[in-house]
Amino acid sequence: MAEVRLDHIHKTYKGGVKAVVDLNLIINDGEFLALLGPSGCGKTSTLRMIVGLEEITSGDLFIGNRRMNDLEPSERNAALAFETYALYPPLTVHDNIAFCLRARQVPQAEIRRRVHEVAEMLEITDILGRKPAELGGGQKQRISLARALVREPDVFLMDEPLSHLDAALRAHMRVELKRLQARTGRTTVLVTHDQLEAVAMAERVAVMNFGVLQQVGTFDEIYNHPANEFVAGFIGEPPMNFLDCEPASQNGETSLRASDGSFSVKLPGELRSKLDKQTVSKLRLGIRPIDVIASHQASGNGVVEIAGQVYTYESLGEEGQLAAHVGGSEVLVVTSPDVAFERSQPVWLQLRTHRIHLFHGDTGAAL
Amino acid sequence: MHPRLRKALTSIFSDGFLIIYFMFALFPILWMILVSLKSGTELFTTQFVFTPTLENYQAILFGDPRAAAGVVARVDFPRNFLNSLIVSSGAVVISLAVGVPAAYALARYNFKGKETLAFTFLSFRFAPELVVIIPLSLIYRQLGLYDTYFGIIWVYQLVTLPLLIWVLRSYFEDISPDIEQAAMIDGYPWYQIFMRILLPLVRPGLAAAALLAFVFAWNNFIFPLVLGASTVQTVTVSALGYISSAQAFFNRMAAAAVIASVPQMMLALSIQRYLIRGLSFGAVKG
Repeated sequence: MAEVRLDHIHKTYKGGVKAVVDLNLIINDGEFLALLGPSGCGKTSTLRMIVGLEEITSGDLFIGNRRMNDLEPSERNAALAFETYALYPPLTVHDNIAFCLRARQVPQAEIRRRVHEVAEMLEITDILGRKPAELGGGQKQRISLARALVREPDVFLMDEPLSHLDAALRAHMRVELKRLQARTGRTTVLVTHDQLEAVAMAERVAVMNFGVLQQVGTFDEIYNHPANEFVAGFIGEPPMNFLDCEPASQNGETSLRASDGSFSVKLPGELRSKLDKQTVSKLRLGIRPIDVIASHQASGNGVVEIAGQVYTYESLGEEGQLAAHVGGSEVLVVTSPDVAFERSQPVWLQLRTHRIHLFHGDTGAAL
Repeated sequence: MHPRLRKALTSIFSDGFLIIYFMFALFPILWMILVSLKSGTELFTTQFVFTPTLENYQAILFGDPRAAAGVVARVDFPRNFLNSLIVSSGAVVISLAVGVPAAYALARYNFKGKETLAFTFLSFRFAPELVVIIPLSLIYRQLGLYDTYFGIIWVYQLVTLPLLIWVLRSYFEDISPDIEQAAMIDGYPWYQIFMRILLPLVRPGLAAAALLAFVFAWNNFIFPLVLGASTVQTVTVSALGYISSAQAFFNRMAAAAVIASVPQMMLALSIQRYLIRGLSFGAVKG
C-alpha cells in the first residue's frame, strides 16, 4: 500500500496531441479516488502512465517513495482492471487469476490459497474451472478484479470498470466495489466518465478536462463550490444553467443585470462582497435547475422573479423538467410534480439566490 | 405453403445440391484412383469393371522395368517425393518464421507505408508466375540458386508468404491489445506473452493458412519446372516424365498423383477441426 504522487506530469503524444498537461495530484495511502471527465480529457492516459503502459513525457511519478518513471509495468506493483476486462481466453478462470503469480514464481500451494481467497471475496469460486468465453459480463468483471487484486498491489487502478454492465448489475457492482476497497484498504484510482459512479464509490473526485486537472475534492466540495464553469456544468444532473450577466448598482448595492436586459437579480451579502472585491465587467451566473422555482404567476411578495416563456415541459412522475426562454437564453428548471406547464405559457422563475454561483465571463473561473 | 413443408423442401434442395457438387468435386479423384489401378491395355476404356493391378504403384516406387529397358524416361519417384516434401515444408516453415511476426507487426503497429507494404505482399500473388519466371531464372543462374533446394524454397515464398501474412493479420487484429498489456503488467516478457496467450488464439488461422500454403507449394509446377532441374525435381514436374514421345503412361501418372496427394490429405484431416473455423473466420474478417 502506498501513496501515489504525480508531480508536474505531462503527456504529449506523437503528432503533438497534449493528453495531459502539468498534472499535480496526490492520491493518499488507502484512498479511493475517482478521475472524472468527458472522453478525451486525459484520464485514461493518466491511468496508463501510472501503471506504466504509457511513457511519461515529463514530470515525476512516485508510488510510495519510489520514482516509477523508468520502471517496467511489472515492477511497479500497480494492478489495472481493464475496461474490456482483457481476460486471457485460452486460460481457465483459475489460471487467469493465477497468471501473474506464476510469473513471480510463487509456490504452487500459495497460488492456490491466494486464488481461492480472492475468488471467495468476489464470489466466483464456482466458476474457477470455466473459460472466460463461457461467462457473462458481470462474471468477467469479477474475474478481472480478482486478477488485479490477487497480487496484492500497492495501487489498484480501474478503467471504466462498470461501463459494459447493464444498469441493474452496475448499481450492484458500485456498492460491491466500494465494499471491496474498504475491505482491502488499497489505494485505488477509478477512471470514469460517469459522475454517479464517481460519487457512489470514491472519497475524492478529480475532475479533468482537455488534459488539465480542473478540481480535486470531495463530491460536496466539487458540487457546492465548483472551481470553474466546466466543473459546475459537468457535475450535476440536469446540468447547471449559465446566464450572461454584468454587475450593476442598485440603490448603492451591487446587483446583477442580464447582458440582454431581460432580468436583474439582487445578490445575497456573501456574493456581493465577493463581487465588490473584484473588477469584472462580464460575468456568468450559474444556477442549478433544482435551485429555480417556477410558477404560473408572480408571487408578488417582493422577491425578484424573472419572466420567461415555457419552451418545453416534460413530466417525469416524481418531478417535471421545464425549459424556459429568458431573453436569449434557455433556463432548465426541475419543477414539483403538482404543477404542470404548457408550451408558450408565460412563466415566472424565482432563483434561490444563495445558491447562485458566479464565474468570470472570460476565464470561467469561479469568483 | 406450410412452413414445415417449406423447411423440408429447402433442406432437400440444399442437400441435393451439395450431393451433386460433392460428386462433381470428387469424381476426378475417383477417376484418378481407378486409372492408377488399370493396366496399360485397359487404360483408355471407360469401363468401371476391370482387373485392378498394383503394377503401376510397384513401377513408380520400385523401378519400372520398361525404364530399365530404355522404353521410357527413368523417373525416380521416391526421390522426387522427398524433394517435394523438403521444399514445401521448408517454404512453409520459413513463411511461418517470417510471416507470423510480419502479420503481428502489420496488425499492431502504425508505421509509415504500412498499407503499401501489406499490399506489396499481397501483390506477389497478382502477377502470373509466368510473367516473372524468365527474369527470375536469369537471376537464379547468376546467383547460383538454380536447381538448389534453397532457391526453390525461396521462390516459394512468393506463393506461401502472402497467404500467411494476410490470414494471420486479421487474426491478430481481432485480439485486443489490452490482453497483451494485461500480461505485460502481470510480468511476462513479450515472447512468453506471445507463446502463452497469442499463439493459442491464432492457432486456427495459423493451422489453416499453413496447410493452404503447404498445398499451394506442393502443387506448384512452374517454379520447379523452370528453376529446378535434376537435383530438385518435384513430383509435379516429374509427372511429365510419364509422357514419352511415343506413349503417355497415364496409369503411372495417376498412381504417382495418388501417392502425391496423400500428405496433403493427411494434413487436412489432422487439422480439420481448425480448418473450417480458421478459413471461414479469416475470409469473413479479411
